[in-house]
Amino acid sequence: MTKLYSNKKVIALLILPGILLFVFAILAPICLSVYYGFTNYSGMGTAAWVGIKNYKELFKDEVFWLALRNSLLLAIGFICIQHPLAMIVAAVLDKLGGRGESFFRCVFFIPNVISVAVIAYLWKFIYNPDFGLLNNIIKMFGGKGDTNWLSAQNAIWAVLVVLIWHGFGWGMLIYYTGIKNIDPELYEASEIDGANKVQTFFRITLPLMKPVIQVNVTMAIISALKQMETVYLLTKGGPNNRSQFTANYLYQQAFDAFRYGYGNAIGVVFIIICLLVTVLVNWVFKDRDEVKLRRAKA
Amino acid sequence: MSDLLSAEPNAIDKKAQEEARKKFKKTKKKTKWSKVVLWIVLSLVAVIFPLVWLLDFSLASSNELFTSGLLIIPEKIQWGNYQKAFVDGHFLLYLKNSVLINGLAVILVILVSIMAGFACKRMKWKLSGFVKTMLLMGMMIPIHATLLPNYKIYSELGLKDTIWALLIPYVAFSLPQGMFLMTSFIESIPIEVEEAAVMDGCGIFRIIFQIVTPMLKSSIATVAIMTFLNNWNEFMMASTYLSKPKWKTLPFSILEFTGQYSSNYAVQFAVMALTAAPAIIVYIILNKHITKGVAMGAVKG
Repeated sequence: MTKLYSNKKVIALLILPGILLFVFAILAPICLSVYYGFTNYSGMGTAAWVGIKNYKELFKDEVFWLALRNSLLLAIGFICIQHPLAMIVAAVLDKLGGRGESFFRCVFFIPNVISVAVIAYLWKFIYNPDFGLLNNIIKMFGGKGDTNWLSAQNAIWAVLVVLIWHGFGWGMLIYYTGIKNIDPELYEASEIDGANKVQTFFRITLPLMKPVIQVNVTMAIISALKQMETVYLLTKGGPNNRSQFTANYLYQQAFDAFRYGYGNAIGVVFIIICLLVTVLVNWVFKDRDEVKLRRAKA
Repeated sequence: MSDLLSAEPNAIDKKAQEEARKKFKKTKKKTKWSKVVLWIVLSLVAVIFPLVWLLDFSLASSNELFTSGLLIIPEKIQWGNYQKAFVDGHFLLYLKNSVLINGLAVILVILVSIMAGFACKRMKWKLSGFVKTMLLMGMMIPIHATLLPNYKIYSELGLKDTIWALLIPYVAFSLPQGMFLMTSFIESIPIEVEEAAVMDGCGIFRIIFQIVTPMLKSSIATVAIMTFLNNWNEFMMASTYLSKPKWKTLPFSILEFTGQYSSNYAVQFAVMALTAAPAIIVYIILNKHITKGVAMGAVKG
């Protein structure tokens, strides 16, 4: 057994495909990014070494900070608007039972299986000032309905609405699974003790959902940081970079502004930020749990 | 007699009270349920109405779109919109590419993640922990940061406009999640099963593919679903690494169309509905499995 399970050749053969993929598709590009981040390469011709000039520029680049602020806004939007709504709907669905339950669960998830390309263009039409759905709804309620939803002022909010709408089903499904995993006896016990629906939700559902909430919040923060595709198609980060996100910005710098070197520098900082935030969020959640455990033991 | 007389009204009273209580309970329940249903219907409308609107507008003619009503009743249902979308959007070619690339990616992710997962979890070697962490690190790396360097690498190696340009990053970026799920499931398989197999003289590859793999069925389904969902709608890499139509995937139907028919909005609505359709249909058919897969993948991941 041990002999068979420590055969070096077999081990090498088993992990080789994984390692190769990792090196070729993730590690090598990152190394290349680090290199180009130190150059003024435009995408064509030759690259000249410029040291940390790109990074110096980046920290003074207002658009970069704006993109980070937008990510923060999006994360807040996810956590404060999308998730509470998703959780309430999940809790209600859980009580619904029968065919209605599976029907609604199915329907709520549909936007998630639709391509981002469709979603982005669909919302472009919804926001369209001439025949868009949103302005028509406003007209129906007696408003003027001539708002330009993708103007410099409104664009970031318009983007947030789309993203919150699009990810709703995903969050709901995960909360729903979490609620389903709660032991129904707990609800029976609380009912016997005379707790009402709201009390049950806050005293039983919410505390027991804590691990699920942590997973969802972590994913929300990271996906807010990594957002690109919807913005790329809906507003291109504009107008005037008002709805810019980091990933989209580095792409535009490289391929539209022909500053491939600078784009890579943004990419490197972007990767570092993503790693830091992931570690930080995990640490915050983990730490709290451990502290509680220690307290419980003491 | 007096006893009976005095008892009867009491009994009636009790009965009436109970009935009243029941009625009260019923009405209370009824109002609550109607509220719940109303609530759900409202949120359902918010989620689904844009899609209904899309479908409705895709069947109208472009001139009819400029109404102030929410929905249009088209004078004549314009199936021609779909015909244009189908033909000019290269629907069949792009659908075939999408299915092929995603299918291959799913198979490769499953295969590679079982192999690597087994090697890291079960086999005895010094660097197993390190390699596992390294492969899982891929989960934290933002895909979009690799767009620029990968573009450079693929153009240098002549991989642009080939199937590899999509297959390699799709597999690589779905691998960490796949491996994470696989390792946690491999861990839960009792080692005695493998010990017995070794006793019977099984080779390592037979153990992995004939004994362990069949026991991983549910996690294989989960990994397949997650990989498919992640990559099916991906287009950022596709639009960066591909410029010829040969391997373009389904989202390109829309991207190309908006340029070609920039003023014919109704046809654009049709192409959007058409490209969304395959995924929605498959989802509705496999609804239960997908729901389970997503829930399992997300909670574990």
